[in-house]
Parts: sequence; structure tokens; C-alpha cells
Amino acid sequence: MAKIVLENLGHSYLPNPKGEHDFALKPVNLTWQDGKTYALLGPSGCGKTTMLNIISGLVPPSHGRLLFDDQDVTKVPTSARNIAQVFQFPVIYSTKTVRQNLAFPLECRGMAPAKIKQRVAEVATLLDLDYALDMPARKLSADQKQLISLGRGLVREDVSAILLDEPLTVIDPQMKFMLRRKLREINRQTGMTMILVTHDQSEAMSFADEIVVMKDGLLQQSGTPEELFSRPQNDFVGYFIGSPPMNMITLEPNLGLLCTAALNLTKPLPLESNATVYQMGIRPEHIVMAAKETNSIGMGKIIKIEHLGVDGIVTLELPTGVVIKAKTRKHTEMNVGNTMGISVCDEDALLYIDGTLSSSSR
Amino acid sequence: MNKFYHTLKTIFLLGWSIFVVFPFLWALSTSFKDANAITSGATYIPWVDFEPSTQGWTSLFTTGSRGINIIGPFIDSAAVTLIASLVSLILGTLAAYGLSRFEYRLGFVKNADITFFFISQRIMPPIVLAIPFFLMLKELGALDTIFGLVLVYVALLLPIAVWVMTDFFAGIPKELDEMAMTDGCTPIGAFFRVILPNSVPGLVVAGMFCLIFGWNDFFFAFTLTFTETQLLPVSIVSLNSSVTPWWSLSAFALISVAPLALVAVVVERYMSRGTMSGAIR
Amino acid sequence: MLQIDHLTTADAKVSLDDVSFLFEAGNIYTILGRTGAGKTELLRALMGLNPLTDGEVKLDKENITKRPIRDRNMSLVYQQFINYPHLSVLDNVAFPLRRQGKKKAQAQALASTMLGTVGLGDFLHRRPSQLSGGQQQRVALARAMVKQSSILMLDEPLANLDYKLREQLREEFPRLVSDNEESVILYTTTEPREAMELGNTMIVMHDGKIIASGAPADLFANPPTKDTASVISDPPISFISGFVSNKTLYFGEGQIAPSDGLQLPPDGPVTIALRPNAIERGGDFSAKIGLSEFSGSQTIIHLDFAFGRAIMMVDGIEAFNSGDDLRISIQAEQMMLFAPDGRNITIRDNQDG
Repeated sequence: MAKIVLENLGHSYLPNPKGEHDFALKPVNLTWQDGKTYALLGPSGCGKTTMLNIISGLVPPSHGRLLFDDQDVTKVPTSARNIAQVFQFPVIYSTKTVRQNLAFPLECRGMAPAKIKQRVAEVATLLDLDYALDMPARKLSADQKQLISLGRGLVREDVSAILLDEPLTVIDPQMKFMLRRKLREINRQTGMTMILVTHDQSEAMSFADEIVVMKDGLLQQSGTPEELFSRPQNDFVGYFIGSPPMNMITLEPNLGLLCTAALNLTKPLPLESNATVYQMGIRPEHIVMAAKETNSIGMGKIIKIEHLGVDGIVTLELPTGVVIKAKTRKHTEMNVGNTMGISVCDEDALLYIDGTLSSSSR
Repeated sequence: MNKFYHTLKTIFLLGWSIFVVFPFLWALSTSFKDANAITSGATYIPWVDFEPSTQGWTSLFTTGSRGINIIGPFIDSAAVTLIASLVSLILGTLAAYGLSRFEYRLGFVKNADITFFFISQRIMPPIVLAIPFFLMLKELGALDTIFGLVLVYVALLLPIAVWVMTDFFAGIPKELDEMAMTDGCTPIGAFFRVILPNSVPGLVVAGMFCLIFGWNDFFFAFTLTFTETQLLPVSIVSLNSSVTPWWSLSAFALISVAPLALVAVVVERYMSRGTMSGAIR
Repeated sequence: MLQIDHLTTADAKVSLDDVSFLFEAGNIYTILGRTGAGKTELLRALMGLNPLTDGEVKLDKENITKRPIRDRNMSLVYQQFINYPHLSVLDNVAFPLRRQGKKKAQAQALASTMLGTVGLGDFLHRRPSQLSGGQQQRVALARAMVKQSSILMLDEPLANLDYKLREQLREEFPRLVSDNEESVILYTTTEPREAMELGNTMIVMHDGKIIASGAPADLFANPPTKDTASVISDPPISFISGFVSNKTLYFGEGQIAPSDGLQLPPDGPVTIALRPNAIERGGDFSAKIGLSEFSGSQTIIHLDFAFGRAIMMVDGIEAFNSGDDLRISIQAEQMMLFAPDGRNITIRDNQDG
């Protein structure tokens, strides 16, 4: 177990990177505490896999240092880093039983049989797989196979961190839910640092204590799920975190204020600003709709209602033609064509100046 | 550190290339030597160590006691190899496609058994096949003819083509054929319009194997021909006399390697253009 | 109109078991089921790719069960991004039109229009391998749609895409398929939200059978069986066993009288189904917090009762400590009851439809 520090860590696949765009991972400083869960989140090609490969040792970084518990491991080979990895597709020895699968990493390290037996039993209990120990591993379902992949990392006592590379991709939605819970429980019981790589923001939010959002090799924002949700640092994080994405409404400067004809909502115009684009970011979850206009800051006509089960997504057209989305549980009481009063807490309406969260909204 | 490895790598590769190229250089220099230059100890540099002579080369294009004419055998060899390879490739590709896409069952015999049956023909040592082949060709009146040799070579090359192509087709997703059929192709149409254009790398590899094995075969060319038809590997034998003519043998070796070397260069060019890689995800 | 009667297949892994349904033209059907439920097998059987051991497929009243694949007038988009690697994007989409006998120029013109619709107008002369995953799937979709076939089938088309790309394509989907509005559209997925968002009619499959079908909202509100409820609920629905005795519903240490907006079935064992909205904070029950997760503006709490597990959602972001006790109440009007054989036996007091 270890604290992981990324010190000005960057990587370019080119021998002599000229500018920023030559970097697959632009230099970044991060500190990950021992025993917590982290998620690296971003679209394909954002550099999250490069970062994971640097941590596991598959890719030596071209710039900066990587520290495990204040020890420089930048040049230490993968095999000596004590990292366990779980991949997108379950990697199991299909001809072996569950017990043999779990014991294999220990046998390779020459551990005493009695000790192996004890470790395997401990880990099987942790994974709720006691009953399956003597079953052939290939007979298990996809989520159980994924647990075995994880278990082969857990049996080793020397593991400093577990890297999870999109491990839930091939799992059905309801099973995902249970597997995620299992992962969190294992994290809590073993105190093992876990790092999850994913493109799925909902997965990252529910799994991680802290999320690192990346795009084009550049760190966008790193923080707790709450911070990323309620205070996205830029329009990309606003778009990428949350589903549907954050509503962005363009504001016009007018008499020292920023306003829009669509909603009765203003923000003070920052002094000495030579920005070109002012936007108001509002989360669909923060829009409250009511049939009456009381306390509303504007009106919107419902043009679409999407039923997603317990929740629904309502698409509203504002008088100026701007379209916004709202998330609600009262969608079953609404109809397309209705006009609704809209209200939003002032603190939930964030000001973005040229795509970056204004300091007044932080 | 990096530089050190780079140098080490260069030195190693250089050493390896010399190792590979050396026999060719040796053959090339020997082909321009005469009897004196060869029997009186090692000589290396033309005009200094020895006086170059074209005797080795001319002896391959003259008939009589001073040499043989290899133009005839060259053409025969080329014809047999090309025709046999082409026929094997066509039949083998069709067979392989069938084996990779459809399920056959003849009693207990299934696809895997049929594939093994093809390959099993290469398990037997050639000598076992020589007598039956001889008798069959005799019955057909095809002994000592190009046609007879083509028949035998097809039997030998077909397993290679089937084997390589079955493996290659197995790597092309079945969905591609299915999609072609949903798009309005017949099963045969799907094969020609979609699968074949995406099989060039496999065809090239299978074709290469056929050409190499066909071109270099000595045993069957030797046992199934006499005077009318003579293939290149057999014709060389008649050069051998009490004094081994190293110069002629070297020149001959270079000539017989040339076509395959040429094919290799063309294929290599083609492969490096990248048209073949990344076609299928 | 597409009618299937008693479709049965005998595949080694997943097989269809006596599946019958009537698909109307101009409708989007989403087929929801877990991995191995038989969704892909159904599409492949319709297409003629998997042999039937029994049953009939009728297209506009004509029996096409024995018709070769190429004459079926159906198209299929695969989960993997399958395109013709040796053809340009434009020729990929023109391919089916050429097979229909259209002239090259005409086929390419139609293909180019269709590629414009799916947003690939600038990529006509690229090879599929030079495109991103999302773009490759758009090519496959364009090729499937350009034929204007009477059946358009999509087999988990978004499953291999990034989350945000999936969200974007889902949003665009109704516009993308608007060209094929005369067709029967079949769309399989493992995600309940996707099935509910995209389909006019939702079909639920389980173990090679169609176990329910109907308008998504209705099906969600009143799933006919326990399996259906389980397949269409995300976050998962929780089941707790209980029994009815003397007009009272007992479960664990709890009990509910019939007056709470729920009529109780006759005495006997029942399964109680709880969606997250059936559990609220504060009340008579004590539960242990197993885990709390953050999801947008909500917090999802995994609860451990003495009598089972359940999931609840709390508005807003709140930190809950795992292992703490939480007082909760169970809303009878949101609760569903299932008989031991799996039938939904929920009867509400104020049922208005």
C-alpha cells in the first residue's frame, strides 16, 4: 500500500516534443492518498490510458517523476512495482478451478502451501466466492470472472495499488451496480488504493473518492465527485460530468450586468474583462419546474419528455428559442406542450467566461 | 544509455546482415572463377587474387560436353511452378473458405478432420508417394510431361494453401459475410466481392509458400521425368562430373534463386505500402 | 408488418423458445434483456442467419421463413463496428444499392445523401479504419438505412462506444432513423434507460422468451412479472420476501396494513419489490448503511436490513458513513407485490387506469 505522487509527470511518444500538442500526457502534478479510490475519466484518446500505463510501468514517462511512498519508482520495471491490474475483459485461467486461479500468483512466488491455502480462503471470503472455490473458473458469469481477476491481485500481500482498466464494460447494468459495491467494500476492508480508468462518468462518480478529468492529454479538473458536479472548472467538465450535460446559456453584457432574454437571471459583469463569451451553466438536476409561475425566473414549453424509469428528462424551449434540459422525478405528471415555470437557485447558476468558471462562482 | 543501446543494436544487425549476405557474395565471386582460382587455395578479390572468367555463366547456356542449356529447364520449372501454385491457390482458397464458414459432416468426419486430412498428406515422407505417383502418371500417360508434374505438384501444394487460408479466413469476422448477404449478395457473391478483396495478405503468404516449395522441389521432378521434361533442380545434376564445376554450380544457384528473390522484393514492397495491414479490426 | 410465430432455435449457448410477436411498421421496438437473454438470437433468426427448428416468419402476411438472406429486405447493424474494410465510406454505403442493381452514379448519390444525414459528409473517401469508433458505427447505420428495407435491426449498436458518445448518438437516434419511418425498427440493448428512451414499444426478453411488452412507461410502472421488474429496473430493484396473513403484510420485523394505498392479496407468501423511490428517510425501520454512492444531484444508499438488502436515493449530496444506522420508512403506494410464481399481484386502491 502506498501513497502515489505524480511529480510534473508528462509523456510524449515523440523523441523531441516541440510544443504542447506533442504530448500524449501534458505534465501534471497529483497526489493520491493511500487507501482511497480514484478515477481517471475522459473520452478515448484523452491520455488516461497513458497515465495508467505510466503508473503500472508499461510506459516509462518522458518527463517528471513518479513516487510510491516518497520513493522514486520512475525507472522501476512493472514486475517490481507491486501493482495489480484488472482489465476490460476478465483474464482467467479457464482450465483451472477458482481456487487454482486464486492460488496461482502465490505459487509463482513460491509461497508455502499452507500459507497459500489460508490467503486463498481469506480472499474468497472477501469476494463472496467461497461456494465456488472448486468450480471450473470458466463456468462463472462475467462479473464473477472479473472478481477472480481482481482476486488474483488481492491474494498478494505486497500489492501497493490496484489498477482497474474499464473493468465494468462487459458487465450488464444491474450486475455493474453490485460489482461496484463489491469493489468499494473491498477497498474499505483491505485499505487498498484503487485507480479506475473509465469513460463512463456515472461509474467514476459512484466509485471514486476523487476523480481526475482529462481531455487531449491535459488535466481538466481533479476533485471529489461533488466538486466536479456542482463546480465544474470549465465547460468541458460541465459537459462530461453529468447526464444530460450542463445547460449552457449565452449571456449578453448590458449596463454592467450579464443577462439573457430567456431567463430573468443576471450576473454582475466582471470589471476589466475583455472576454468574448459569457455563459451561464445550469445543471439539469438544479432546474425546478412548477405548473404555476410563482417564484419562477422564466417560462419554458415542454417539447419532449424522456422516461428513464424513476427519473425523467424534460426538454424545455425558452421564449427565445433556447433549448434546455431538466431532470425530474415528476415527469409522469407533465405533458408535452405544457408551459412550466422555471426556477433555479442563484448559487446553482454558474458564470463561465470564455469557457472557464468565473472566480465569482467558485 | 540510449545511445549505447543504439550502437549495440546497429553492430548486431550489421553482423547479422553479413552472416546472411555472405553465402550470396561467396557464390557470386565463385561464379566468376575458373578451375585454377578455385583449386589453388582461397582467393577473394577479382583482378587481384584471381582473373575473372565468365566460364561459369556461359557453360549454362551452351550444350554439349562443356555445359548444359538451362533455358529449357528454366521455362519448364517456371511453367510447372506457376500453374501448380495458381491451381492450388484457387482450389485451396475455395476449400478453405468452405471449411471456415460452413459445417460439413460425413459420418463422424467434421470440418477439423477434413482440414487435418489435407495437412496429413504432408506428413508422409515423399518416398512413400513416389511409387504410387509414378504408377498413376504412367497409367495416365503423363510421365515426363509438364501436365503430369503439375498434377503431382498440385497434390503437394494444395495442403499448404488450404492450411494457410483456413487460418486466415478464421480471422475474418463471420459478420462480414453475413453483412454482404444481407446487403444482397449470394454466398458466392459475398466471397468474391467482400472476402476475397480482404484476403490479399493471406493469398500472398499462401502463394509465396506454394512458389517456394514448388520451385525448389527436386525429388518428384527427379523421379517422374526423364528426357522430354526437365526441371531446373534436376538439370543441375547433369553438370556434375569428375571435377566438380563450382563456377557453374554457383552461377546456377544464383539464377535459380533470382525469381524467388524477385518475388520476395515485390511482396515486401507491397506489404510495406500498408495496404494490407489494418484492413480487419 | 412483421409477424413471428413460435420461433424456436436450438443453438448450443442461447436458444429461442417459442417466440411469437407482431411488429407494426413505423414503430421503434426496443428489445431489452440481459446478456444471454436471446436478443441477438432473435434478430439473427429473423434475418435467416440462425436456423430455426420451428416457427414461421411472415413479412406483410407472406411467409419468408425459407427465403434466402439476400432477398429478405432486412438490414442489421452489429454491435462490433462491421464495415467493408476494402471499400471507401462512400462505396460501403453504396454497396447494398449496387447489389439491388442501381447504377453506380445513382447509388453513390443516394449513399452520399445518407452519409450527410448521419453527419459523415466530409468523410466520403476515407477508409472505415481511418474513422473513430462512433463514426464507424455511423457508416454501418447509413449502410443499413440506405436500402430502405422494411426491417431495420440494430444489435446493441452503442454498446462499444464511450459513455458521452453513446449519450450523443442516443439523442440523435430519432433523427438518424427518420428516413426509415416506414420500417419496423428493432433495437436491442441491455440498458433499461436506453430501451425506455428510444422505443415506442419495449419488449423484454429473458431466457430465450419474450416475457413482456408494451409502452415503456406502462411497463415500468406495472411490470407483469418479477423477472420483468428485475430486468427493466436500473438502479436495481430489491426483492424482499414476506407473507400476508390476516389482511396484514409482514416482512422481517415490519408490517403494513391494507389501508396504506395498497390492497393485499389473499393470505400466503409474497415477494415485495422495492424501487429506490419506495424508501424514504425517517420512519419505523432501522437499516444499516452498506455503502453510499454519489450520482449527480442524488446520493444512492445501499441499505442492509435484517431481512434483506435494498437501495434508496436521497436528493442532494450528503455524506453517509458506511455501517451507520438509518431510520427509514417504506412507502406502500410505491411498493409492488409478486406471487410465488412471479406474477405481479399489486392492486392499488386508487387505480385510475
